[in-house]
Amino acid sequence: MFDVYVWFYTGCILVIVGSIATVIGPGVKDPVVRTINTEIPAVGISMIFLTYNHTIALVTFIAATAIVTLILLRAVVRLEEMGAEL
Amino acid sequence: MILVPDVVSPIVVGLYAPAIIVGILVGLIGLFGISVEKNDLHVLILTDIVGIGMLIFVAAVGTDLAESLILPGLVVELAEILAISEILMSREMRKSGKTVELIPTPLHFNLEILQTAPVFLAIILIAYGAFLSGFTGGAIAGAGILFYVMSIKVRGVPSGVWEGLAGVSGMAWCLWLVGFLVLFVFPQYWLLGLMLAAFGVFIKVAFKAGLIGVMNREEFKKE
Repeated sequence: MFDVYVWFYTGCILVIVGSIATVIGPGVKDPVVRTINTEIPAVGISMIFLTYNHTIALVTFIAATAIVTLILLRAVVRLEEMGAEL
Repeated sequence: MILVPDVVSPIVVGLYAPAIIVGILVGLIGLFGISVEKNDLHVLILTDIVGIGMLIFVAAVGTDLAESLILPGLVVELAEILAISEILMSREMRKSGKTVELIPTPLHFNLEILQTAPVFLAIILIAYGAFLSGFTGGAIAGAGILFYVMSIKVRGVPSGVWEGLAGVSGMAWCLWLVGFLVLFVFPQYWLLGLMLAAFGVFIKVAFKAGLIGVMNREEFKKE
């Protein structure tokens, strides 16, 4: 059978570990590393959405995360080219 | 006492408390990071984490209501991050006096396909979005418009087009409101109200792309 609890608690652990990694993880002084670290809680919350059967929310969330990552990386690259303190 | 309707499955009710605890924990971790961090760009990245905590809160409700609340939350978060990153960049640009390309890429996208394909792909995406209508259709059509603009940037976009997009977006918002009013005031015309609301929100979401254009108006090459 499809065990709901496994998916839910894996998602919870991924979200918590991922957010700790984003805040105080190794190498987060580099904004690119920090942006990529936000993908771990994103995977976790996707699993939580799967548990609750929120299909449309899951699809929209995946699209939104991809666009947010693009926007953030564009901001990082542009700010670096301007020579800003990061 | 907690009131839970019978239609909610017992599994969802059982998972409510752990989900809320995880949401609070993630929100606190994110807020701690924001309070420690000094750099504005890092704070912007960390707001993503707080947003995820908010999403867990909403998802824990576990019904269709949760789904319908997550969608606008995501779009608002997207627009917010876009606007704040634009503000950060334009502030830095004013401070240092340097100008950088709108979309910095390591490669020069001087490909033949970018001259010929955009119209075709954009028309397909917009037509499919119009067929879907509503929120999802709006997102797809918006992606089509955005793709068209991004690839046509080389040739220059007339600035008047962006103001037109913003105006149509505002009118579509009114259409959506009128649709809702019809649903409540004249329930016998429910089909008209439904269609007005669906296509109003479709145009509104699709022309969210205009937001990027209006903000970058001076950076696009004008005709």
